[in-house]
Amino acid sequence: MGKEMLTGNGAAAWGVRLAEVDYIPAYPITPQTEIIETIAKWISEGSMDASFVTMDSEHSMVTAAGAASATGVRVFTTTSSQGLLYGFEMLYTVAGWRVPLVMVNVSRGLSSPITLGPDHNDILALRDTGFLQIHCETCQEVLDSILMAYKLAEDERVLLPVMVNMDGFYLSFTRENVEIPDVGTVRSFLSEYQPEHAFFKAGQPMAQGVAVLGGEFYSYFKYQMHLASQNALDVYKEVCGEFEKKFDRKYGTIEEYMLEDAEYVLVMTNSFSTLGKAAVKRAREKGIKAGLLRLRVLRPFPDPDIKNALKGKKAVAVIDQNISVGKGGIIYSEIGGCLFNEKNRPLLLSFIGGLGGKNISQEEFEFIFDKIVSAVDTEIVEPPYLLYTENEWKDMTKLKETAGKE
Amino acid sequence: MLRLRFHGRGGQGAKVASRVLGTAAFLDGYNAQDFPLYGAEKRGAPITAFTRISRENIMERGVISEPDIVIVMDETLLSDPQAMPLSGLKKGGIIFVNTPNSPLETKERYNIADHVITLDITKISLDMIGNPVLSGLAAAVASRIVGIGEDAFRGAVEKELSGIISDRELLVKNTEAALYCYNAIMPVQIKTAESIREGENVITIPFEIALVSSPAINATGNTPLRRTGNWRVFRPVWDYEVCTRCMTCVARCPDGCIHVNEDGYPYADYDNCKGCLICVEECPAKAINKVREMHSRSGEGDR
Ligand code: SF4
Ligand code: SF4
Repeated sequence: MGKEMLTGNGAAAWGVRLAEVDYIPAYPITPQTEIIETIAKWISEGSMDASFVTMDSEHSMVTAAGAASATGVRVFTTTSSQGLLYGFEMLYTVAGWRVPLVMVNVSRGLSSPITLGPDHNDILALRDTGFLQIHCETCQEVLDSILMAYKLAEDERVLLPVMVNMDGFYLSFTRENVEIPDVGTVRSFLSEYQPEHAFFKAGQPMAQGVAVLGGEFYSYFKYQMHLASQNALDVYKEVCGEFEKKFDRKYGTIEEYMLEDAEYVLVMTNSFSTLGKAAVKRAREKGIKAGLLRLRVLRPFPDPDIKNALKGKKAVAVIDQNISVGKGGIIYSEIGGCLFNEKNRPLLLSFIGGLGGKNISQEEFEFIFDKIVSAVDTEIVEPPYLLYTENEWKDMTKLKETAGKE
Repeated sequence: MLRLRFHGRGGQGAKVASRVLGTAAFLDGYNAQDFPLYGAEKRGAPITAFTRISRENIMERGVISEPDIVIVMDETLLSDPQAMPLSGLKKGGIIFVNTPNSPLETKERYNIADHVITLDITKISLDMIGNPVLSGLAAAVASRIVGIGEDAFRGAVEKELSGIISDRELLVKNTEAALYCYNAIMPVQIKTAESIREGENVITIPFEIALVSSPAINATGNTPLRRTGNWRVFRPVWDYEVCTRCMTCVARCPDGCIHVNEDGYPYADYDNCKGCLICVEECPAKAINKVREMHSRSGEGDR
């Protein structure tokens, strides 16, 4: 097919089309709607063959997606932010059914106040559900990750749903060059889904989504999900290997940028990582041995890869584009847990930035590097820091005046 | 890298313009990135869209706050305190303004020191296409300024517009008008320096009590302060010779901005009339004419 200018939403639609998905329950929400609009257009034109059903809410949508997946067909659905929360109950439920559907979440900050810009409190609220999570930095990655997600989810060592995440606006509405693979190559990578455990057939009756009474039973099922999710780390590596062979693009659970000889490391996720990489380049020009670790897979959490990548580093700053109110950055805590038992672990600093799509400016990155370097010099790690600039504060002051505060 | 910012009003085609430029650059062998920033998503409301063009990988994302080139598709935005199309423009940057006035007049009128290019693309659009949708034309101007080849530009216009215009004839007219604009502009040597940033101070946010820090509005509504009269491309003008005073237009104006004078004839509040022309459509006597708005000619538009 070759290269095209595509938005993240367009790239997601292409991923779904190339994966030859059978069933798509849909409900609109900004900034995701373009995905289902594009798919609906293709289906009505006849260039894509799938059942498309508009639902009455995200709760019904996730239920329908899980139920359809339980009949043994390939299923896609997508939402964002408030919609994800509205379907939240069913996300746990369908993950427990062990159905390999793939969902896209287009990240958007959560209410209140209601907003449109991206941060990751929506997707991270899902981290305990059983959904695997792949987070994307570029539009290309969105397309590629959907193809990889089906292969990963449908592997019998895994059989868990996968959520592919992209940032609203910064990817969803942003067009970049995207290579659209041809369907033949995709078919040789992702073969038709052959359901082994979840199917509804008239000749072979079964019940799914049942109740159990008794902790020993309940624990068994939950542990099995956890073990399957852990298996996904190895399966994912196989999937990446095959993907690279077919499409010549290399992915891992993490991405290491100028990391090899780095002493000071930023940890980031999603599209803002591009800004972080540019900041690393600028820091290098000033003689600071900087590097960046981008987390691509967040569930299962790639502990071994992270430990390995951060071994021997002097200090690490986690930039969380989320806030666990009353605690701080979510990924900071997870990296802390991951590194705690390591000998010679690096100092760990926490920054929160980019909430609701707030820019992280060059100066804020410089500020972070100053803090990392001085933490190493003084061996004092300051408490978590919320990135904010004086100009932003001036804008905030104006907004408060308009709203009649003070 | 070149960073372009388009300023238009909802419905004028700023988003599509940024896309046509992005595709043109892509077809010409560059890396490109384009995206719109939707605000109120209302026809007539100010909207911005962005295109980055580079030989290298683009290591930036999000809003362009320091553009090399600004494309102003609606002249009234130059005096709009919310839109501020010139903000952050780099030294040596270029401003294109859609206006019937000359660059010199425009520079004086809006007190601009930088390089200004003008062309009345609304007139070209009305003459050659028959409607004031400016996407292809604004993209043409931008493509020419940044030095994109004609073949790449033509390919981009056809590709992007064919996705949204199904009428073959209209598509041809759009392409012709766009190419006319492309050739009406001279390529420019762009000599912007990489920006010297002012340097933002990183600060610590203090605690404030919920009376201040909860997202509630404690002030009374301020919508009347926001005038929408400069959104018009056409203004409705009444012909009292023909008007039968039936009051249909008064009832149909979606913004309630048609009032009635002492003699029982309707007149518009031009400070707020958005130029939707529903009144023109609805008048049974055809007593309302549409007249092209010339906001830049004093006394005719900015009241
Ligand atoms: S054009 Fe007519 S209907 Fe529309 S806002 Fe103006 S007066 Fe009202
Ligand atoms: S609708 Fe036409 S005829 Fe009736 S009052 Fe308005 S301008 Fe006059």
